[in-house]
Amino acid sequence: MRKIVIIATREFLETVRTKMFVISVVLMPVLILAFVLGTGYISKIAEKEELPARTIALIDHSGLLAEALQKQIDEHNEQNPLRRYVLKAEGTTAAEVERVRARAAANELYAYVVVPQAAIDGDASCELGRVDTQMKAGRTLRRMVTEAVVAVRFGQLEPPLDRDFVKRLERKVTFRELDLQTGTEQVGDTMTRVLTPFAFMFLMWMGTLGISHGLLTSVIEEKSSRVVEVLLSAVSPTELMAGKILGMSLVGVLLISIWGGVGLFAADARGMSSLITGMRLTYVVLYFIPGFLFAAGLMAGIGAACNTLKEAQSMTFPQSLLTMVPMIMWFYLTEYPNSVLSIIISYVPPITPYVMILRICADPHTPVWQIVTTLAVLWAAVFGVIWAAGKVFRVGVLMYGKPPSPRELLRWLRYP
Amino acid sequence: MTDALTLSNVTKRFGDFTAVDAFDLRVAPGEVLGFLGPNGAGKTTTIRMVMSILYPDEGQISVLGHSRATEVKDRIGYLPEERGLYRKMTVNQILRYFGKLKGLRGRDLNRRVAEALERVGLSEWASRRVETLSKGMSQKIQFVSAILHAPELVILDEPFSGLDPMNIDLLKRLLIDLRRRNVTVIFSTHQMEQAEHLCDRIVLINRGRKLLDGTVSEIRAQHATRILVLEGEGDFEPLAECAGVAHAHITAGGARLELLDGTDPDGILRRALDTARLSRFEVQRPNLQEIFVKLVEADAVPDPSDEATPAAPGAAEGGPVDA
Repeated sequence: MRKIVIIATREFLETVRTKMFVISVVLMPVLILAFVLGTGYISKIAEKEELPARTIALIDHSGLLAEALQKQIDEHNEQNPLRRYVLKAEGTTAAEVERVRARAAANELYAYVVVPQAAIDGDASCELGRVDTQMKAGRTLRRMVTEAVVAVRFGQLEPPLDRDFVKRLERKVTFRELDLQTGTEQVGDTMTRVLTPFAFMFLMWMGTLGISHGLLTSVIEEKSSRVVEVLLSAVSPTELMAGKILGMSLVGVLLISIWGGVGLFAADARGMSSLITGMRLTYVVLYFIPGFLFAAGLMAGIGAACNTLKEAQSMTFPQSLLTMVPMIMWFYLTEYPNSVLSIIISYVPPITPYVMILRICADPHTPVWQIVTTLAVLWAAVFGVIWAAGKVFRVGVLMYGKPPSPRELLRWLRYP
Repeated sequence: MTDALTLSNVTKRFGDFTAVDAFDLRVAPGEVLGFLGPNGAGKTTTIRMVMSILYPDEGQISVLGHSRATEVKDRIGYLPEERGLYRKMTVNQILRYFGKLKGLRGRDLNRRVAEALERVGLSEWASRRVETLSKGMSQKIQFVSAILHAPELVILDEPFSGLDPMNIDLLKRLLIDLRRRNVTVIFSTHQMEQAEHLCDRIVLINRGRKLLDGTVSEIRAQHATRILVLEGEGDFEPLAECAGVAHAHITAGGARLELLDGTDPDGILRRALDTARLSRFEVQRPNLQEIFVKLVEADAVPDPSDEATPAAPGAAEGGPVDA
């Protein structure tokens, strides 16, 4: 046991001292914050820029819209002096419409709108044509035309109806939402709330991936630098593997603590710490440990069987592919935590931790028997994979040359 | 007194290939044993079984009185043939790490690391990273790391391979020093000359079996074929007909004769003077090299086409291949 601790200590210190570790500790949270805050900030900067006035051509078959639309554009220009529009009425003959289309395509006009009479009386569509694809501008144009058409419709009513009166009747009903899972009033936008479970999962995923990959590299390094046989004169292969997994687990715990601490701090700073409940953190720890040990055992075994990182990568490919499943399916799992598919993939050991964290965050009433059985299956898989890795480690760690085929690997497992 | 090492009837197979075949060996405490044999003879496999890195299929091994080396690992020093160091660690860190794994700690550990570095002249390099060391320096670190914990039994697998003359000399001094301190040493090599000078006893292994076991002088006596070398001007042909000459190689400028046991070289000398004028006459004692080459060649497999295959199944079967 003392030797396992010595090996684990070295593994821990050597990993923590690497540039790669320092970078991942610092860079990861910076990247997340940059992604979350940065994009909003950049678009805000962009909005401060002044754009030249954009011309909109109106082809109005009803002959009623120009005034109402001009009113909308005036209001818009007043509120957005940097984003001005200019309205220009055009003729309605087919040839004229064709000409306007051509000018818009040639970018002489920013956009054109064709409003048929039936758009006002009935359900016909207006035609909005433009070259660029800016979402916000499109939204503004559609809104202004809609407002103008509705204003015309109101103007045609007999007896007339007060539009502001109708608007008041249709005013929004507001809600004060209580989140019974966290026991607090909802704060932050819905997106943040939906993303919190994803953040938990992503944290576990990155931690497990990074550290188990570190273990793989470290085993291969010991093999290729021929240190391994020197070590085996002092410790058994099992002790060596146990020490390495223990050391790397400590690195994982450190990494998760740092990232989690930063996350908690950020959530607290934005007044959303209520989203991170003790219950959720308990489950993260409960699933992270076996999930990590599973990946670590697998990587130790694969590392021992291979000589180069390249060989190892082709062997870890199926595992990498499988761990992508919860990343791809996270939205589905959050929306339908108790569907049959969600329950089934909860029992696939490599992804159990991620799937279960998403499900438990989405539905705190996930049946206890499912939590117990998934943990049991996961732990059984952990023992299985560590047993197998130990066997492969014992044989493979002194094997140089061609990496073994799956059939040979199976035979190694049967060695006494 | 218990033997430092006993192997009885030890056999190890990799698939169809028998790497070590019913091998017996006893090494007394304080003995320096040379473990010789050509490449692929089974030396490394035997040593790995002694170290409990591999396990024999049949037979027993006793190391320092224990059935498994794992129980006495801290009393054994081992330098594998495939050896390396962590490149990113400093010299001091790596020696301390290996020392700790061998059960050293505290002040004792610090003292021994400092002593070891001084002994190989690398004290100033203590806080440098291994990757900055030259190959020769790394080899020195490897030697001292194997004996840092003052083991009772030292096993060195091909310690001389890849060394420059300076390090060969240093290693010899370290070995002589170990012998003086009564440490049991087993080292494998295929450089007979080293073995001849350093070993109390020599074991020759070929194709997994023991061909020879004895002290250097015993072996010489047993295989006392003598070689007679003559050089000069004249006719050497008649010497081939002399009584007691087993084999003759005659050239224009001399002859090389292999004598049967009990042949008197003086008779041959007199006979040679009849037909030639000599500039050189020498009775050569056979060196180990010659004895071994002869024995190994005599032990060759009858059909050489079979010989080419055995190494391959070993690799395919997933067993560590003896290099």
